[in-house]
Amino acid sequence: MANGQVGRPSNGPLWIISIIMLGYAFLVKAGVLDGIMHSLHTHKSADLQFILSIVGGVLGVAAAVLRQARKDKPMTNFDTFVLETIPGILFILILAMGIRWYAEPIVKIISNNLVPVIGFKIHKVLNLNYVVLGILVGIIITNTWGIPNFAASGVKTARFVLKMGVILLGARYSFAELAKLGMVSVWMIGFFVMGTVFFVLWLGRIFRQPKSMTGVLSAGMGVCGVSATVACAPVVRAKCSEMAYTIGTILGWGVLCMFAFPTIGKIVGMNPTQFGAWAGTGILNSAQVAAACLAFNAVDIHTLKVGEIFNITRVLFLPIIVLVLATWYGKSEGTKLSFKEVVIDKFPIFVLGFLLLFFLSSLGLFSPPSHYKGKYLDFSYNKRTEVTAEELAVIGEAVKAGVPGLTAAEKEALEDLYKQRQIAGDYKDRNNKKVFDAKARKRMEALQSILAKAKAKQISISKELKSAIKHAVKQVHKKSKTIVVLTDAMIWFFAYGLIGLGMQITKKALAQAGGWPLVMGAISGTAKAVLSFIVVMFFVKDVVLK
Amino acid sequence: MAENNCENKCGVPGADDQKVMEERALSVFASERNEDLTALVLVMIVVFFVLLFTKWLA
Repeated sequence: MANGQVGRPSNGPLWIISIIMLGYAFLVKAGVLDGIMHSLHTHKSADLQFILSIVGGVLGVAAAVLRQARKDKPMTNFDTFVLETIPGILFILILAMGIRWYAEPIVKIISNNLVPVIGFKIHKVLNLNYVVLGILVGIIITNTWGIPNFAASGVKTARFVLKMGVILLGARYSFAELAKLGMVSVWMIGFFVMGTVFFVLWLGRIFRQPKSMTGVLSAGMGVCGVSATVACAPVVRAKCSEMAYTIGTILGWGVLCMFAFPTIGKIVGMNPTQFGAWAGTGILNSAQVAAACLAFNAVDIHTLKVGEIFNITRVLFLPIIVLVLATWYGKSEGTKLSFKEVVIDKFPIFVLGFLLLFFLSSLGLFSPPSHYKGKYLDFSYNKRTEVTAEELAVIGEAVKAGVPGLTAAEKEALEDLYKQRQIAGDYKDRNNKKVFDAKARKRMEALQSILAKAKAKQISISKELKSAIKHAVKQVHKKSKTIVVLTDAMIWFFAYGLIGLGMQITKKALAQAGGWPLVMGAISGTAKAVLSFIVVMFFVKDVVLK
Repeated sequence: MAENNCENKCGVPGADDQKVMEERALSVFASERNEDLTALVLVMIVVFFVLLFTKWLA
């Protein structure tokens, strides 16, 4: 560990930050902020707010006391790498807390209140979440007041913390998701990911852009947003400003796609599966894929499901892209790298960490192996997953009276729900989990189809019956607490890292990058959208999932 | 280092500013490998504690 000789800036700011954090912890514990938290819908995070503030405050006080005591002593490694980084770490942490608990909810509330006036949720359209807000806050600080002297050392931890976020990302996925896709779909996703990477690299050569910028942009455009950009930045030696530029280009492109995709999809008459496959391939950011799928079809959950699976599968190509870019960068720098050099010497260890967590997740360490972002289906017989007695009576009446407009499968699923009091497979198959779960899944999908038909007003069912079916479906959807907590940690690491990243983007750095990366992003994005549109229209019919 | 020499020789305007920005962009770690290994170790510690409190002791 070397580098950051920044001297010993004043201790005053550290005391102020520590006192603010301790004061905030006291206010949270005393319940003074309960009203504000409820109105911002952040009350569920009250415990976390207290813990983070108290830990930050105590750490700050301890660091301030130690710095005071060591003021006139020569700097050691402990001073340089621990004591001197703490003021900056707490400075970014306090900004991240402000964004996660105040700025993000306020933006959401304002956006929701503006819906009657402008007709859409502006925070969803512009993707104004902690990612964008974090980068923006960092940019504003560095381009107005500048990074305070006391925080300079701590800001250097941003990239390191972003890497921790990428490693944790692996815990959210599993092989089971890949297994759900047919081989044609995997080939299609792989073709578009690799095709986009090579296309952007070629465009970079045509437009004579720096190799670092081109490399990181190709990864971002090929896979998706923040994680790919962070993962590939070290192998192409990209600067922080180039990483931020790439993230900005991808998010900006996604905004355009969110409007264009659903409209085009409707005009050409795509079916829900086709649109899901197209959006999951053509749009980069996962939140924007979900928004486009819901805009296209809010009733049929198949659109969203296909879109999400196509989207997340791209993330799993990340290690391959890292290898490709390491080879390309080595070659373009004039050094021909051997296979060993690329795979062992150049391959970033933190991407191996991503793979390690993905592997552990696939083994079922965090959640049953078939989970998707920590969510999984549990059809096992359980008293707690039964519907209530009142709901059972409502379902019984509907079964006896009959619901017009249901298919045979939907009717059978409703009857079975009444018999078994919960969504499950056949009792005789209880010892064969695969058959039991497959039957239960079919019944659950049939019940979801009843709800979708009711929502689309194709059939008419009572409010009580709708609520009973919804409850039954909800009961089999479980969420792994471990993955929920790991995801929360990942979001905090990303929020922290992106604020620090934003702090390294000056107006000058953006001007130096010029408009070419935007042009390259637009060209490659359009090419990918058009090509995937053609492929989806001609080759993807209904069966893309097993 | 080579880049810095070039900047000084070529007289790029605002080279000092650029140097400051590059200094900021540097990590607190001496090498990429140190940074990655530290990130991996810290994440494994986080994962262990999360598993401990949400799965094994829950």
